[in-house]
Amino acid sequence: MSDLDRQIEQLKKCEPLKESEVKALCLKAMEILVEESNVQRVDAPVTICGDIHGQFYDMKELFKVGGDCPKTNYLFLGDFVDRGFYSVETFLLLLALKVRYPDRITLIRGNHESRQITQVYGFYDECLRKYGSVNVWRYCTDIFDYLSLSALIENKIFSVHGGLSPAITTLDQIRTIDRKQEVPHDGAMCDLLWSDPEDIVDGWGLSPRGAGFLFGGSVVTSFNHTNNIDYICRAHQLVMEGYKWMFNNQIVTVWSAPNYCYRCGNVAAILELDENLNKQFRVFDAAPQESRGAPAKKPAPDYFL
Amino acid sequence: MEVEVDEKELKAAGAEPLPDGRHGLRIHGWEIETRKLSILTSSNLQLWEEKLQTSHLPEMVFGESCLILKHVDSGTKIHFNAFDALTGWKQEALRPVEVPAAAKWKFRSKPSEQVILDYDYTFTTPYCGSETIEIDTEKHGREEISQGTYGLHWDNCEEKIDVVSLASKEPILFYDEVVLYEDELADNGVSLLTVKVRVMPSCWFLLLRFWLRVDGVLMRLRDTRMHCVFGVGENPIILRESCWREATFQVLSSPDNVII
Repeated sequence: MSDLDRQIEQLKKCEPLKESEVKALCLKAMEILVEESNVQRVDAPVTICGDIHGQFYDMKELFKVGGDCPKTNYLFLGDFVDRGFYSVETFLLLLALKVRYPDRITLIRGNHESRQITQVYGFYDECLRKYGSVNVWRYCTDIFDYLSLSALIENKIFSVHGGLSPAITTLDQIRTIDRKQEVPHDGAMCDLLWSDPEDIVDGWGLSPRGAGFLFGGSVVTSFNHTNNIDYICRAHQLVMEGYKWMFNNQIVTVWSAPNYCYRCGNVAAILELDENLNKQFRVFDAAPQESRGAPAKKPAPDYFL
Repeated sequence: MEVEVDEKELKAAGAEPLPDGRHGLRIHGWEIETRKLSILTSSNLQLWEEKLQTSHLPEMVFGESCLILKHVDSGTKIHFNAFDALTGWKQEALRPVEVPAAAKWKFRSKPSEQVILDYDYTFTTPYCGSETIEIDTEKHGREEISQGTYGLHWDNCEEKIDVVSLASKEPILFYDEVVLYEDELADNGVSLLTVKVRVMPSCWFLLLRFWLRVDGVLMRLRDTRMHCVFGVGENPIILRESCWREATFQVLSSPDNVII
């Protein structure tokens, strides 16, 4: 058994790798990812997955439902880390699978694959806690810069973490972005990872936060038409039912973190496309408590004031 | 957040668990109950949007979750739920807070037409609980079942919640925390409305907290505390205190505010 296969087996048990192994894995992953396009070509059949957010045991449920990699081809739409308890193991397992089976699994970047966001929402702290230093966080965030920004399945389905950008009309414009950098605060790359579809606008909307685009149905119609695609598949927003179509089936949100943050009670979904691009959503629940390793501790009553 | 309590301890305090698998207890004429369920489904969320006349609600609305404290004899019912809290948000309708990136965005080339949304995405609410007096006529031996609801009567007073007595380590017979709604502000911070309750042999105490952090901009806290000492009177007396605080990151990080 090769070192990599052994590491995959170890990660499947939710045991993190040694720091030196993470470093070596990231170097190998970098060589593979650097070759990928900003609009990475993906062949069908493929199974598309949305946000995971460090919910390792729920991702294992996902693989139970969808089948193991490499038997099933996977496309993950980003947000592997933050919020959940096992961002390290989740991301490293996906990365190890990428290195082992580069043509069988595609990982694209979500807005949480960023130095700034991971320092606020958990991944940084988790690395520090599990390794006693931030080196692993550094290796991983350096890899984030190499992740592709989007994928195109059989030239017909455009996949991205967040959504569209007013700076982007054609896929070629995405191909020209220099992606090897921290996610910027504005511009096309930022929009692809951050923006959301919005029912109440038809064209473009600006979030009340003063940053962040919202796009309506007519924007999606014209993007799909210009680029000759059937629909857009994206993630980024929690959906109670695991997936949600909008704008007359021109865009679908797929969410793959069941019982999000371990308390929302939502189901998750993945989208299976067969070789003819026929769709099947597979909906699944969170892993049962007893399969999560350590039992949940009941906190002592709190003498709050 | 559930805690097992010794049955003996309950019995000694004259309390008993609620029947039918409900989560809570009966004590000194009070029924105190929490319900914790999933976030609203898409279709229910849409219903709420229609009822509240809004097109935006928090990402996680625990619409069926609640804390209820009912004094059975007087019909006094104090309860906490997301719907009433969001009704308060809609009415207060604060101006939106700009995130730090907004300054840069002002110089971005804009699409030829763009709609600027201007609702309060922080879901700040003045909510301090819901209340009714429920007269259950069935209980009083009449045939028809009807429920009248009346407001509760609150007076201003000098008396303060006795924090010292609350700090004493009386056994906690029932404890729970219920999230009513939560939003991640699209990864720009957090907005969270929760209510915590603890019931001791001598009293119950609760804290409703709205907590907001807009990263790099401000923090906002709106607390409501209620304390009821179990007594002999027919009508229970509840002390209620509210405290609102807010500060910008700028003020908090200024050298004048360093605590030594």
